[in-house]
Amino acid sequence: MAKAEDIDVEPDEPYRRAGARIVRVRARELFEHADGVLDTRDIERVHDMRVASRRLRAVLEIFAPCFSQGEFKGVLRDVKALADALGERRDPDVHIDALRTFSKQLLAANKHGVNRMIEDLEERQARGNEVLAAALERAEERGLHGRLVALADDADPDDPEAAAQP
Amino acid sequence: MKARKVADLDPDGALADNAERIVRVRLDELCGFMPAAADPDEVVALHDMRIAAKRLRYVLELTAPCFGPYAKAATKLTKEIQDLLGEIHDCDVQIPETRAFAERLLAEDAAALHEAAGDADDLDPALLKQAPHARDHAGVAALEAHLRARRLLLFDRFLAQWSQLDRKGFRARLEYAIGERAPVHK
Repeated sequence: MAKAEDIDVEPDEPYRRAGARIVRVRARELFEHADGVLDTRDIERVHDMRVASRRLRAVLEIFAPCFSQGEFKGVLRDVKALADALGERRDPDVHIDALRTFSKQLLAANKHGVNRMIEDLEERQARGNEVLAAALERAEERGLHGRLVALADDADPDDPEAAAQP
Repeated sequence: MKARKVADLDPDGALADNAERIVRVRLDELCGFMPAAADPDEVVALHDMRIAAKRLRYVLELTAPCFGPYAKAATKLTKEIQDLLGEIHDCDVQIPETRAFAERLLAEDAAALHEAAGDADDLDPALLKQAPHARDHAGVAALEAHLRARRLLLFDRFLAQWSQLDRKGFRARLEYAIGERAPVHK
């Protein structure tokens, strides 16, 4: 699993400055994990992106009072929608993986039923992938990454780090 | 579970002061699920406690360096509790899914056997070999038994882990640590 970047914080720095900086980093991490996320042969990609989405959502909630509330609500809603779509794909991934491991320990006569259940879950995984593909497209169309950066910049316009961000 | 609102957060105030307020509320939320979540049948309380642990863990992961040394240790302990509650939750999701899957196979077999019986007065047990899922039931039943046993075991571990946190003064020590301030590095 990809580790989240460590972000230095100082006890006396303004809450809003820390929030803006952390949101920029966590937003970048989320979209860095988007490459190849629809490839069901490598389930770690969707896992990494889901973890990144959870971290970003948590950060938005922790620093909520620092952001302009009108835009914040829409951004948080879109992050939640993307996180939910990642969950639709990830949940069957995890279940399939666990069942494959479990099946290896079973007597041959008991493998049939578990393999049948894996087939069932693979159909759910394919549907989850469609949900995720649509959610990624929607995030792109709605400029979610740019809106996150703008939200952070707006929270702390004097932050010297703001101008340094891509 | 909706997070409890944290009062008196000030965007222009110091990060540590605001984070302290958030951690106090999130810690209280987490601890508030006990003793209700000590009942293995309290599936909702256990699920909500997992969410509360996740919220506390995330705020600590970001802000523990602002506080006294125990905040860092508490981050790890909170993650361990969250992970364990997460595994219990996985069982609570997968057990009914497995049961529903088993029921579906049984219903499909029953329907197929009914059709195979035609206009016979009674069902010939020999027809069972023709049931479409005849070879599937044992594995699904084994899986359900495994999940149920695993859930019991994980719940025992959760109780032991929480009791250890209690004995070691997790709450009081974290409350003390967030009242401390780490030295400024600038």
